[in-house]
Amino acid sequence: ACLGLADIKIWVLTGDKLETAMNIGYSCNMLRDDMNEVFVISGHTLLEVQQQLRSAKEHILGLSRVSSAGDVEKTDMFAEDSVFEETIIAEYALVINGHSLAHALEPQLEHTLLDLACLCKTVICCRVTPMQKAQVVELVKRHKRAVTLAIGDGANDVSMIKTAHIGVGISGQEGMQAALASDYSFAQFRYLQRLLLVHGRWSYFRMCNFLCYFFYKNFAFTLVHFWYGFFCGFSAQTVYDQWFITLFNIVYTSLPVLAMGLFDQDVNDQNSLRYPSLYKPGQQNLLFNKRQFFMCTLQGMGTSFLLFFIPYGAFSVTVKEDGSNFSDQQAFAVTIATSLVIVASVQIGLETHYWTAVNHLFIWGSLTVYFAILFAMQSNGMFGIFPSNFPFIGTARNCLSEKSVWLVILLTTVVCVVPGLAVSFLRVDLFPTLTDKVRHLQQTTKRQGPQEQNLRRVRRTSSRRSAYAFSHQQGYGELITSGKNMRTSTVSSARSPQRTPHSSNWIENMLKRKNEVSCISV
Amino acid sequence: MGKEKAKSGSLARRPDNSAFKQQRLPAWSPMLTANTVLPFFYFMSLICMLLGVWLLLTVQSTQEIKVDYTHAGECNVCFEIRKNMSNAGESCICTVEFSIEKPFKGDVFFYYGLQNFHQNLRRYMDSRDDAQMVGWKENLKNPSIYCEPFKKDQNGLPIAPCGAVANSIFNDSFTLTYIDSSGTEHKVPLLRRGITWYTDKNVKFRNPKVDNLTLAQVFEGTTKPLYWQKPVYELDPHQATNNGFINDDLIVWMREAAFPNFKKLYGILYRANKPFTKGLPAGNYKIEISYNFPVQYFRGRKQVVLTTLTWFGGQNHFLPIAYLVTSSLILLIAVVLTVVWLKFGKNGKNMEE
Repeated sequence: ACLGLADIKIWVLTGDKLETAMNIGYSCNMLRDDMNEVFVISGHTLLEVQQQLRSAKEHILGLSRVSSAGDVEKTDMFAEDSVFEETIIAEYALVINGHSLAHALEPQLEHTLLDLACLCKTVICCRVTPMQKAQVVELVKRHKRAVTLAIGDGANDVSMIKTAHIGVGISGQEGMQAALASDYSFAQFRYLQRLLLVHGRWSYFRMCNFLCYFFYKNFAFTLVHFWYGFFCGFSAQTVYDQWFITLFNIVYTSLPVLAMGLFDQDVNDQNSLRYPSLYKPGQQNLLFNKRQFFMCTLQGMGTSFLLFFIPYGAFSVTVKEDGSNFSDQQAFAVTIATSLVIVASVQIGLETHYWTAVNHLFIWGSLTVYFAILFAMQSNGMFGIFPSNFPFIGTARNCLSEKSVWLVILLTTVVCVVPGLAVSFLRVDLFPTLTDKVRHLQQTTKRQGPQEQNLRRVRRTSSRRSAYAFSHQQGYGELITSGKNMRTSTVSSARSPQRTPHSSNWIENMLKRKNEVSCISV
Repeated sequence: MGKEKAKSGSLARRPDNSAFKQQRLPAWSPMLTANTVLPFFYFMSLICMLLGVWLLLTVQSTQEIKVDYTHAGECNVCFEIRKNMSNAGESCICTVEFSIEKPFKGDVFFYYGLQNFHQNLRRYMDSRDDAQMVGWKENLKNPSIYCEPFKKDQNGLPIAPCGAVANSIFNDSFTLTYIDSSGTEHKVPLLRRGITWYTDKNVKFRNPKVDNLTLAQVFEGTTKPLYWQKPVYELDPHQATNNGFINDDLIVWMREAAFPNFKKLYGILYRANKPFTKGLPAGNYKIEISYNFPVQYFRGRKQVVLTTLTWFGGQNHFLPIAYLVTSSLILLIAVVLTVVWLKFGKNGKNMEE
């Protein structure tokens, strides 16, 4: 339910019977009484199935009606990115028998099936074999531009898990096969929500930020040589010290960005769960696409331009306080290098949303390390050992002790940072995204108590279904109605699965397990 | 939130419920709000403006005069002579005259400047041997391969100092004379020492040392660079601290400039005696130039620069103006942001889903 808000579609593929699956569906609020129509496809021949699929589709698109029911056990989902489905306002559900599914997965029918399934809010396939589970996943993968996630807990789900883009295994009651075959595994279905909405989202957010910053930093670093080429006769003379070039990406700027990639959180975890639609930017590829990359690159180029030309203007005629020259290659190099490291650090400081102690350590530490290494490498000692490799002897000391150099560095930093700052402020002010709004909310109410998102619990009361889901063999019916097993176990009521008590019946066990909301999203 | 109720049997594999592993580290979550950004912008604008004004005032108090002598007057003759390489041994002296309206108060610095000379070309910059210049004996007799083709002369003797940088040392020399109102000529004393960085003079460049040998004997077995008139141990025979590799002019030249138009320090006014105790007085001056350095090969120009300095360095208008421009731009942006925020931003934000 909550994952539905995050634009994640949930499909259930189960080996149970129709009635069981349907009851589970109602208890999970996947099927609801207020749904317009629940289509059941249970034809036995290809033609029947085809006819049923077609009529269902026509009905949704405005014409006839079919109804069906199905069972629920496992879910597999995909996110829809075509606009067509959005225009279907009414809610439909599709339930398919395994037998019919076998027909529906034939090449001539699979598109119909897929289209129909995408039009429905919920799809439940019952009596599905493991092979068919994998086939359904495959179908979605192949024809839809969506990412699929399969979650299951038994050995019969392994093929499905392997077929999907992301496989999640539940480790526990039915053994470890599913968990071993999967990309992620945890112990309860309900953790899926957290996996997706919290960790998945954070991961996407961090990755995009990281990439953007990395490109920016490297463009700023490298393109300075492009500008310098105009002044050095295009002889590929490097602006920086060789050692700086070696260490820039490894030592001076790697740790802060690593910290950002590991720890950054734009919205804290409770709010990520409360507002599932925060998940949408990830699905729609909003945070890092061609346009973002282009902007990053442009920013990097602009920074490199300023990084070069401001010191150029300042240095071309400057001299030191005591008159000795200053407009030499090495002092220029040190000035630009220092400006670059400072600008890069400030930029990552501005892009970090979540400053933990580690971030602080890495950012300030990198700056300190830069200065330490700079002075160490341009010291007398290193020069004494390897004169040809450390020709920058004395430059740092002479250069950075001049006040004019620090003024140049200050100006460069200010000019490089201010435009970015202004633009982001304007963007947040004028066009705040949901993320910005939630962050603002977080800021203003810092100590908001965690309200558990049990939206499904709230809605559950509307289900009027009473379920005595035990329809697998005839004999049991009499057993139950005679009341003989009332003493040892209580009949499970699908209406309130959490309160399902100690029951030895395998049906109740399954119901218990299915109580956790399982949603998969992409 | 960690796993509160793990399935039985897997409690042991539960990840730690520590703040680090559960990503609950205490953190500061800053946000760009109007309260922080707008004052910051105004503050930065103010700072930049103050700095710009201060720097501008400082720079205005310096004085500078440039004299381009590539073709000036008599020097044209020398220019023509230098076009021919075979005349390299001939000396040519020319004189240039100029005048100063306002006296230069304080320390005056004398620079020679070159235009269009790319000391920043990559192969040029690589063509030196720092180990040789710091006095290592094995490099003295066997310079680094980077010095090619200025590593050995045609007789196979190693060149000291090797490389293109040293080879192309600037060898014009200047004598400045002041002509006072009564027509007497006073030679302007220039301190030709102390024009380098301390680290250069004392650490980066050292003469090779052998006890009980004179400098000339230490350099035995090496030869002078191709374009030099004198070998390196005769650059200043009268002062041992200015001879050999630690010669000030050589050191100044070896510190390659970053751009094609540069100036390098030649001397500092010696102000012990009249009439130069307060600096350079106003009046007429003439420079006698021993014109050696040929520039027509690279269409360059030569000049002499006299300037006074402040803590900020000579006449450098770029930085103060850049600061003022930046300040005004930031102010403009700040005003725009304030207007935008006041009109739109104040209430558009905290919508809940």
